[in-house]
Amino acid sequence: MAGVLEVRDLSKSFDGIVVARHIDLTLQSRRVVGLIGPNGAGKTSLFNLICGVVKSDSGSVLLDGAPLDRMKFHQRVRGGLSRTWQHTRLFPSLPVIDNLLIATHDYPGERLVNVLFARRRLKAHDGVARDKALSILRKMGLANVADDLASDLPYGQQKLVGVARALMADAKCLLLDEPMAGVEGQAYAAMQRVVREVAESGVAVCVVEHNIAFIRDLCDEGVFMFSGAIMARGSVAELIRDPQLTELYFGH
Amino acid sequence: MQDTTIILQILWTSLATSTYYVLFAVAFALVLKVTRLFNFAQAAVMTIAFYTAFVAVQWLEWPAWAAFIAMMVMTLAASYALERIGFEALRQRGVSVMFVFVFTFMVSEFVAYVAMLIFGTWPQTIFPMIFWPVTLVGEIAVSGWDIPAMAATVAALTAFFAFMRFTRTGQFMIGVADNPDLAELYGINKRQIFLVAMLIAGAFVGLGMFLYGTRAQVLPQTGLSLMLFAIAATIIGGIGNIAGAAIAAVILGIIQNASILFISSEWQGFLLYIFLFLAIVFFPNGLRLPRRRGRFGTATRDIPLGRDAPPAESQA
Amino acid sequence: MEYLYGIIIIVGLYVILATSFNLIIGYGGLVSIAHPVFFALGAYTSAVLSRDVGAPVLLAMLAGTLIALLASIALALPSLRVSGDYLLIASIGFQLGILEMIKNFRFTGGPGGFTNIPPFLIREFGRESYVVLVLAVMIAVILLVWWISRSDYGRAMTAMRDDELAFSSIGRDAMWMKIAIFGLGSGIAGLAGALYAHYFRFIAPEQFEILQSSAILTMVVVGGLRTTWGPIVGALLLQAMPQAISFLHLPPSVLGPIQGLLFTGLVLVFMFFRPQGLVPAKDVWRTVQRTAGKVRENR
Repeated sequence: MAGVLEVRDLSKSFDGIVVARHIDLTLQSRRVVGLIGPNGAGKTSLFNLICGVVKSDSGSVLLDGAPLDRMKFHQRVRGGLSRTWQHTRLFPSLPVIDNLLIATHDYPGERLVNVLFARRRLKAHDGVARDKALSILRKMGLANVADDLASDLPYGQQKLVGVARALMADAKCLLLDEPMAGVEGQAYAAMQRVVREVAESGVAVCVVEHNIAFIRDLCDEGVFMFSGAIMARGSVAELIRDPQLTELYFGH
Repeated sequence: MQDTTIILQILWTSLATSTYYVLFAVAFALVLKVTRLFNFAQAAVMTIAFYTAFVAVQWLEWPAWAAFIAMMVMTLAASYALERIGFEALRQRGVSVMFVFVFTFMVSEFVAYVAMLIFGTWPQTIFPMIFWPVTLVGEIAVSGWDIPAMAATVAALTAFFAFMRFTRTGQFMIGVADNPDLAELYGINKRQIFLVAMLIAGAFVGLGMFLYGTRAQVLPQTGLSLMLFAIAATIIGGIGNIAGAAIAAVILGIIQNASILFISSEWQGFLLYIFLFLAIVFFPNGLRLPRRRGRFGTATRDIPLGRDAPPAESQA
Repeated sequence: MEYLYGIIIIVGLYVILATSFNLIIGYGGLVSIAHPVFFALGAYTSAVLSRDVGAPVLLAMLAGTLIALLASIALALPSLRVSGDYLLIASIGFQLGILEMIKNFRFTGGPGGFTNIPPFLIREFGRESYVVLVLAVMIAVILLVWWISRSDYGRAMTAMRDDELAFSSIGRDAMWMKIAIFGLGSGIAGLAGALYAHYFRFIAPEQFEILQSSAILTMVVVGGLRTTWGPIVGALLLQAMPQAISFLHLPPSVLGPIQGLLFTGLVLVFMFFRPQGLVPAKDVWRTVQRTAGKVRENR
């Protein structure tokens, strides 16, 4: 069955080091795939390749059947691909709500002509976007920090905002890069809930994580990467139990 | 055949005049490669070099060799100050690319204005006369300036490439150029390497300006245009590729000289800017292939300049 | 009185130049030294079209603005496709190259300059009217840049400066935004050039050289990037300086370099000791509409 996101035979090396070795991966709608593996396995590199941040040596990436290869990063995002970053990358000079408001799929404020001549359209869009942003923040329990500067928030909340921002564009496919790293307590529970809900709403989700409990509770399928290649796929429970994989994982 | 004579003459003159261009280009390219800075303050060092030699010869009436040494001392001192007082402070503050640019550019402008104030705005040369005895080799006019200039340049470049290949410091420089953080992990002193790169570049600038100033006229603003040539050669040769910059400098010099056959002299100065524009539009990664086996990605996009570096997020 | 008008107009034009350059370098985060060349393109286009082609001055001025705008896009588009650093290098080449061209063409009057530029408004309404014109344009430009910086566009520009990669990751196109900002800022510089040409009625390449780049850069950096008042303060300060120096009655060969020294020296000093400039930017973007009230209601 064709997936929302298909990675076909993707390969990349930097300077003799193979970061991606003939990767095949399919992400289906409503399913959460967990991408696990030791540091240096190439997980974030794979995300970078899928997004077009890094150009692959060979292979292709398709979103809803359409090849992404000639598209720049921001074009892929507009095509329906969304991602979060290991280190959040929020805009420190903007309040939380504004971080979200500029992340909608269409942002009329991006064009100078709109700002100068189409103020009504801007206001209308702003109203809709603000409602959406607040509802997402409310679900995460962050509605009260909407006006705070993004950089003033504690780390766990920043990571949630990062995910919130990625949700503003109604993406078809969401890539989460270590959403749980550095997150605990309430934020943790909120994150789990949010990811589940996003998947249920029809999005294809892929999560890179080291937090095995999170992966086990949340993911429908696990993919184990090592040294740029996919070593194993299966249910997360199976992967965790496999002694060889455990060896590879903790041997690093 | 008259045509071959003209062509050979142009070729010869180009090669001779490309000597200083090559030195300036290598200086610029070296600093860019090792420190990852577009050193727009190179024009300042060039201006200081020239006017030191000028003062030594024409005001103090020193012999040429003494003037050369004085010039080298000043040039190296200026490079040292630039690196230790200027660039180090900027690095420590973690400033942006814009900041570095404005700073280095303003330094060059500042020095140009000082020169204007002291020396006025009329053209000068190091020696009072720039006419060298000409001998005819076949039908080609060879100036007495040409051979010594080319010999000096070739010697300097040979020494440089030998230094880079065979000495430890040279190897360290390449290491720092490829991956400064990794080099530090291996115990290489980045600070010192940056200084060495700046000093070597300063030496090239000094020699280059001595050659230029004994053959052509110099104004306080000349440093800026000469530096532009070096920038064009660096880009066309491929950022990170010093030999490429040198070769590009020679080729650009030949094209510039040959253009006298096709366009009037008043347009020749403009030619350089066209080169620069074409270089940026069509060859931002240089005419050579940006990736070579065994070499860390030298494509321009991979060079992090200042703090606005592309992400180094391939850890997972 | 005429002398005073001249000064007011010059200051007004410099405020326009500094404000538009602030848009490019402060808000847009683009490094370029090519602002004077667009000033020149606006001036020369308007001058040539009105004197030698017979176009009505108003039309010629608009043409000048348009040419500056188009030229800036021609510069920015190929450069920004590669990276912002390339815009910097290309701008140096562009600034020096176009001026070289102007010096060599016959129809621009060559290095001697272009004279007898047709006047505008002065004959019909007196010099005061031109002063009003320039000040009106100046206020309009200040308001325009202020408006843009506080709008949704300003919010996007802030995000783009903060983290361009994250900016792309939310689907925003940084390249075209930069080109638009560069075009707008440079077009405004072109308009200033046209205004300059039809008042002083004589333009020469040396009025648009690198000294101007340093001057405008100084005004913006010393005045304070990303503020509304910064470029105004910077322009006033830097125009006051030459006036102050002229009291010393220095010969022109010394005056030029001294001015240059002061400009560049000021920038260097400020960059070391007060990089934020005289009027510090708050550098935190605040939405005009506050959500706080709404949020509290809906909890």
